[in-house]
Amino acid sequence: MSAEAAKSLRPSPPPSPPPPEPDMSMGHALQAAHRRRALIQQGKVILVWIGLILLGFLALLQLRLDPAYMWKNWPFVAQGLLTTIGVSLASIGIAAVLALLGALGRLSTNTIAQGVSSFYVSLIRGTPLLIQIYIIYLGLPQIGRQLTVLGYPELGRAFILTAIQSGILALSVNYGAYMTEIFRAGIQSIGHGQWEAAIAIGMTRWQAMKRIILPQAIRIIIPDVGNQFIAMQKDSALVSVMGIWEVTYRANRFARKDSKFMEMFLIAAALYWLLTIVSSWLEHKLERRLAAAYER
Amino acid sequence: MKNDQKNGKPIVRIQDLHKWFDMLHVLKGISLEVAPTEVVVIIGRSGSGKSTFLRCINFLEQPSSGTIAIDDIVITTGPGIRPDAKQVRALRVHTGMVFQDFNLFPHMTALENVIEGLITVKGMPKEQAVAIGEKYLDKVGLLEKKDVYPIRLSGGQKQRVAIARALAMEPNVMLFDEPTSALDPELIGEVLAVMKQLAQEGTTMIIVTHEMAFARDVADRIIFMDEGQIVEEGPPSQVLGQPQEERTRLFLRSFLREGE
Repeated sequence: MSAEAAKSLRPSPPPSPPPPEPDMSMGHALQAAHRRRALIQQGKVILVWIGLILLGFLALLQLRLDPAYMWKNWPFVAQGLLTTIGVSLASIGIAAVLALLGALGRLSTNTIAQGVSSFYVSLIRGTPLLIQIYIIYLGLPQIGRQLTVLGYPELGRAFILTAIQSGILALSVNYGAYMTEIFRAGIQSIGHGQWEAAIAIGMTRWQAMKRIILPQAIRIIIPDVGNQFIAMQKDSALVSVMGIWEVTYRANRFARKDSKFMEMFLIAAALYWLLTIVSSWLEHKLERRLAAAYER
Repeated sequence: MKNDQKNGKPIVRIQDLHKWFDMLHVLKGISLEVAPTEVVVIIGRSGSGKSTFLRCINFLEQPSSGTIAIDDIVITTGPGIRPDAKQVRALRVHTGMVFQDFNLFPHMTALENVIEGLITVKGMPKEQAVAIGEKYLDKVGLLEKKDVYPIRLSGGQKQRVAIARALAMEPNVMLFDEPTSALDPELIGEVLAVMKQLAQEGTTMIIVTHEMAFARDVADRIIFMDEGQIVEEGPPSQVLGQPQEERTRLFLRSFLREGE
């Protein structure tokens, strides 16, 4: 009898039983305990925050702060929130467009495009937002009037913007310059191999940018844009100097009228703070959603 | 059948290719002709210029001087001569490149990766592109993964999709830049199997690799490069079996020392 035939007649060993399910209860218990500890720690910190706020408030009460006045007038200030958010949203949108153009310009092989975009970035990042606001709101109309005098009334009228238009223009141009660098860094962070693969199949530079690079860069850029939006909501307080009825302007109005500066500006501060906290939370959720898209 | 065509008019013609990186003379006058269906394997030390040479063929690196011709497209460069961008793009469409790091587009599925060039570069309608894409995914054995994103594919699967992506453009010549060097050992086999199949079907291929057994098995011609020059050139039996040049023998000895 051959060796193989002999082997086939031998009884095969019985299959070994499957290994027992590992006991996860210790793991679950440790996880739950860890979560409990983290929540308790968070709770303690919130208590400290509430304590600080109450302490500050009590101190101010001793110094004749008028809470009744605050309670009566906070809705008026809060109504400015819609304007604040609206101006910020419009501005961040336009700023993103400017930033994309700026980044493409900075990365371009065309010298003129490079020159214009780097000039834009340097000039706007190198001057205060308040000066930019004044130039747009007060300086442009002056140019417009001059153009009208010289015989170009339509062109002159184009230079005279409303307060809201000026505010959105100023914020857009300002944030567009800062975000240009974010967009540029995002685009450059896409590995060189992606470019090579795209041009190896015959794509033009623009096709590669549009189909391959930008879709990947956007996922990196969006969280940063979210942060910029949060910052912009606070910077939007500056457009109050143009007389736009957003939060800061409204607070200012009553403050000056009744000399209740602390009361009104504390309300404004609280509203911006709330806005920041809510926006941050939303932005955090957005980031988690984007990260999930990349998971296995 | 395959051997008859090999003596035909060369589909790839490279003449006197020079490449400088600043003061470093990386390619010192390389000339090469590849006939249709021929499989040419380039071996050599790292720094010998073999990858740079391959990347000059489809102008991923700009040659400093020399002539590259693929089928009817002839591009000559020299100091002060800038090749026409449109011509370079046309040449690239006639070559298909497979990279060491795969370079699949992560935001697209396997099928979308394969048909991207057909739609964007060749302007094909989607249904037609999908039909071609599925055919080539099937050829590399990954049709069932057509709707899967690269992040969920193994290295060997990613490289096979990359091969399908290059094949889908139906180029005159396939260029492979160390296609298995970034793969775990157990995944190398599946990629080499696909490459061998392509060679047997008559695909014109220029391959830079360290896989000597594969080279001996599949290559029609082996080129040994050292310090920017072609040192020895010939069939595997000669270059690997009975190398004429001392430098070739030295290089191959380092492979033997690794236990085979």
